[in-house]
Amino acid sequence: MPRFKSIISRIVILHVVAVVITSVLMSVALSWLLSYATNNIHDKAMQEQAVSVGEHLSAGPDGRLELNLPSDLLGLYSQEYGRYSYAVTDDQGHVLFSSLKDSAALFPGDARAGAIEFLQQRRGDATVSGASIRREVGGQTIWIQTGEDLANRDVLIDDIVADFYKNVGWITLPILLVLLITDIAIFRRALRPLRQASEIAAGIGPARPGVRLPTDELPREVRPLVSAVNLGLDRLEEGFRIQRDFTADAAHELRTPLSVLRTRIDMLKDDDMRRALSQNVEGMAHIVGQLLDIAELDAFVVNPEEKADLRSVATEVAEFVAPLALSQGKDVALLGAGEPVWVKGNTEMLGRAIRNLAENAINHTAVGSTVEFVVEGNGTVSVLDHGPGIPEDERNLIFRRFWRRDRRKKGSTGLGLSIVQRIAELHSATVTVENRRPNGACFSLKFTPAAA
Amino acid sequence: MRLLIVEDNEELAELLAKGLQAAGYQADILSTVEDTRSVLGRTFYAALILDLGLPDGDGLELLREIRQQNNPIPVMVLTARGGLQDRVRGLRSGADDYLVKPFALEELIARLEAQLRRPGHLLDSNLRIANLEFDTRNRQASIDDQPQLFSAREIAVLELLMRSKGRVVSKKQVEDHIFGHSGDVASNAIEVYVHRLRKQLSERGAKVQVHTIRGVGYLIAEEK
Repeated sequence: MPRFKSIISRIVILHVVAVVITSVLMSVALSWLLSYATNNIHDKAMQEQAVSVGEHLSAGPDGRLELNLPSDLLGLYSQEYGRYSYAVTDDQGHVLFSSLKDSAALFPGDARAGAIEFLQQRRGDATVSGASIRREVGGQTIWIQTGEDLANRDVLIDDIVADFYKNVGWITLPILLVLLITDIAIFRRALRPLRQASEIAAGIGPARPGVRLPTDELPREVRPLVSAVNLGLDRLEEGFRIQRDFTADAAHELRTPLSVLRTRIDMLKDDDMRRALSQNVEGMAHIVGQLLDIAELDAFVVNPEEKADLRSVATEVAEFVAPLALSQGKDVALLGAGEPVWVKGNTEMLGRAIRNLAENAINHTAVGSTVEFVVEGNGTVSVLDHGPGIPEDERNLIFRRFWRRDRRKKGSTGLGLSIVQRIAELHSATVTVENRRPNGACFSLKFTPAAA
Repeated sequence: MRLLIVEDNEELAELLAKGLQAAGYQADILSTVEDTRSVLGRTFYAALILDLGLPDGDGLELLREIRQQNNPIPVMVLTARGGLQDRVRGLRSGADDYLVKPFALEELIARLEAQLRRPGHLLDSNLRIANLEFDTRNRQASIDDQPQLFSAREIAVLELLMRSKGRVVSKKQVEDHIFGHSGDVASNAIEVYVHRLRKQLSERGAKVQVHTIRGVGYLIAEEK
């Protein structure tokens, strides 16, 4: 059994096979029925003819039988016409009368034959088919035989039969084809809800885990499949929810104790101690925040319909990090596009990526220098610093989690750039690193532009 | 002045109450949505410090209820979730300000005081950076306790900067504050006012600096 990709093609193929088989069977059946019917008509006609011949038989006063056919019947059985013939035989098989030239019987006599027999006999080239009936005339038992030369058979009936085949053939085919087309139409209609469900299913993704396939309109036969798919989606959504809940719970469980610690430290009387411990707690909070960001990113999915204004995200980040830069004797500046720059992506995640680039740049830029943010209309945001730059052989290492050039250096966790890269991956964005002349590094993120 | 702290971590709640007491505020502590709902119905508090993750419900839900009842109490939300989206949701639900744990006690008090100074919550309090002081009630600036005279526009800019101490004020905010939304502002007008203010402050010996964050806005800070 060949495999069919589509139900419709399967139906078409099977239907065509059924049409062919039906056509053949129908022809055979019709042909049999027709020949049966024409033979019946012929036999009946022959019987009637024999009866009619018998009506003109009479016994003379001497007991001899006489046959007085009227002229129309004589014409029917004439040699010239040649189509019909008759013969009358006695119970000895002697021929009493015959329309044939040689005065022979049409069929061999048979004393045991019944009151009526339908017989067929070859005579020379021709085949004679007819009836033989028994009669009692003038105390004698005789057989009246009538026959028709099949070679001269009724042209009309044969024509009808031939025509019938031709016409029936032409009518059957279109009817069967119309049936086929109707079947296809019915099936397409029946499958439409399935197609609609497929379209809905195509839109299901991690970004829209709440969508379920409608089962109301579906044919009962496919409902179990769709229900099973929906249950599977329920379980997947639950998985996503658990992962998200974990991040939220972890954030709460980690940050609340840090908050207790922080407040306790803030209430210390010793200024130096307080300042030092505050810095420690802040560093720790920073790492916790970044680890939570990473955990969140692992379960995060960007909604493809979401868009963000890169310009306003960059502005917000610049506002956020400016006090940090100023407190270290450094500065920030926002350059480039003054108009909104719409890109595909999640505002929050874009902000986190730019913030991590900014914090990295502020950490490395020289005191007294400015970290510049440049937003371009093509969906690119760059962060430029005046630090030592990134050596060629470190460009792939810097995005690894916990990688740091100088492990003794404070304020760096080695997580920031790995977060940047993960966010870029989620947004199909590209990250590029270049060194600047005379010194400094330039990190660029290029996002996919979106319509405003 | 009585504040209400709603925080399910007992230790943190008590530490905050203690810290606030040192700053001159009395604070009551509750730990559930249910208790807060009933207490707010019958007791007046000057402000509410609300943790979002409570054992018997979502703090944001409670906040929405409070706002639906047209209760104008200033609400400072505390949360372990620091995402921008969380922040936006919090502010939309009616929070006046938002602090992510862990936060500095000093920051909490400063933000709280900023809220209490809002119209309707007048509190006679001065804003101060180094030797520069700004009295929000009569909009009077003084340096080393000597009252200073500034032009109306300069005072407006200074007030905005002082109120946003430690944070960047965008150029747009300054424009809106001085000229209103419909004002037709010359492109460099704000820069001119800031430049004049900076010059005046420096000439009169204020130990503060008005930073220009190019493309972003302005920030006032203690001189280094």
